[in-house]
Amino acid sequence: MIDALGSAASSSLICLSCDAPLEPGKIEASYLGQSFPVDLPRCPKCGFVYVSEELASGKMLKVEQALEDK
Amino acid sequence: MSCCERRLKLADTESVCPVCLETIPAERWAIGDEVRLIKTCPEHGRFSVPVWRGFASYGPWGEAARAHSRTPSPATAVDRGCPHDCGLCPDHRQQSCCVLLEVTSRCDLACPVCFASADRHGRDLPLDEIERRLDALAAGGGRVHVQLSGGEPTVRDDLPEIVRLVRRRGFDFVQLNTNGVRLALEPDYVAALAAAGVDCVFLQFDGVDDEVHRRLRGAKLARLKDLAIERCGEVGLGVVLAPTIAPGVNDGQIGAIVDHAIARMPTVRAVHFQPISYFGRRPLEPTDADRFTLPEVMAALIRHSRGTIALQDFHPGSAENPYCSFSGRFTVDDVGGLHPTGAKPSCCGVPDDLERPARAEAVGGCCGDAPPAAPIECCGSTRPSPDVDRARRYVAGQWRQAASGGDGEAADAFDRFLATRERTLGLSGMAFQDAWTLDLDRLRQCHIHVVEPDARMIPFCAFNLTDRDGRSLYRASTISAEAVAG
Repeated sequence: MIDALGSAASSSLICLSCDAPLEPGKIEASYLGQSFPVDLPRCPKCGFVYVSEELASGKMLKVEQALEDK
Repeated sequence: MSCCERRLKLADTESVCPVCLETIPAERWAIGDEVRLIKTCPEHGRFSVPVWRGFASYGPWGEAARAHSRTPSPATAVDRGCPHDCGLCPDHRQQSCCVLLEVTSRCDLACPVCFASADRHGRDLPLDEIERRLDALAAGGGRVHVQLSGGEPTVRDDLPEIVRLVRRRGFDFVQLNTNGVRLALEPDYVAALAAAGVDCVFLQFDGVDDEVHRRLRGAKLARLKDLAIERCGEVGLGVVLAPTIAPGVNDGQIGAIVDHAIARMPTVRAVHFQPISYFGRRPLEPTDADRFTLPEVMAALIRHSRGTIALQDFHPGSAENPYCSFSGRFTVDDVGGLHPTGAKPSCCGVPDDLERPARAEAVGGCCGDAPPAAPIECCGSTRPSPDVDRARRYVAGQWRQAASGGDGEAADAFDRFLATRERTLGLSGMAFQDAWTLDLDRLRQCHIHVVEPDARMIPFCAFNLTDRDGRSLYRASTISAEAVAG
């Protein structure tokens, strides 16, 4: 299931390294000197962050291109 | 000219004779604060014309990277030499970014100034012919932007169908070049165009009062222009105002046009100034006083901002010859003031975002003693050009109406960042070249092309080039000086 942020529901995702369910958490994405605090599923043990394909190729890509084109 | 005026030869290049259009040698000279193109035809004499007024920006513009790329499949061979072999030929140094498709030569206005020499008695390009050209474009041109042009394309009732034909072939950015008259009067037509997939309306917009429109277009159009913008806003179409700047007519309205655009954001995404070029239908043989150059536009914009923007907030295009254009993006504050969006100028005055590998290799670093960036000798790669791709993305990103960034609790930092685009205005300019100002170095790097019936691609300024008497090098229809006078 994909929520409004384009991220998969955390409960359905398991961290392959830690075998722990991902939990929603505040992370800071940064690109070309600009930071974006966003909520994404992350592993509570190793900190791995899951970015769905939809988010990566959608909104996040638009932000990256906007920054690159500045 | 004073005794102390600077006279410095800058470079050799080539041009054409405005009388016979034969290719002739030319030189660029800095004389005082101007850069002039000077050339002599053995038969028709000497011509000298200003091409850049404001020497302070000439150096920084020349330092911009001149990345070249060859067309993957040249349609014509080199025979007589530039600009007589366009197709593109193997000597052309840039791929297509924006391709114009002239869907009609009819127009519902009869402007005293018109590069296409259009009038009410032209012809429409048949749909099957349009499909043939689009197929050829799709096969050879990659993911170019398509600008539907004319004539006045909105005289066609089937324009939405033409837009769908473009979209069906995978072109992902469709501009409509229009005078806006029909858009103002027929909201359903505008809605049909938006539904068919037009991204951006490139609206001829020469000034904020009827007097300017009357002098340049022969009609009172101010109210219709505003209505056209409103109609586009109602259906989510981004609008770019495209003023032709003619000295003594509307060069005093540059600031007023910007304010007009700001008052109509976010529908209006940008203003793209085009100093008048003397090709097609034009009223006279131009003198120096009839010329307006890109640095003069930038100077007017800077003056209008009252100190909030500066020359280093503008930069040359990333794919075309640097002396063909300028652009900048500005955030508009709550009281309509302009502020740079944050591109950081380097110590050389050229924005850091131009510091691509080609520049770094050629210059060897910032502010060193190395010479200005030199063109790549072999005319570049035939691979899809990253510079052209970047130029395409820049235009699409700014000129399309800003996507909603989301709001309320569901909005995240990405949404909020994208929403700032709604308050971002593009200010840019492009200097088209006529028979007097044509510099073949610039023409060879042109990335705006017109697609012809046999799928040849003609650089825009070559396609529209006419001699002193109105005879065209490439356009099928020619006009005579007598016809203009009549």
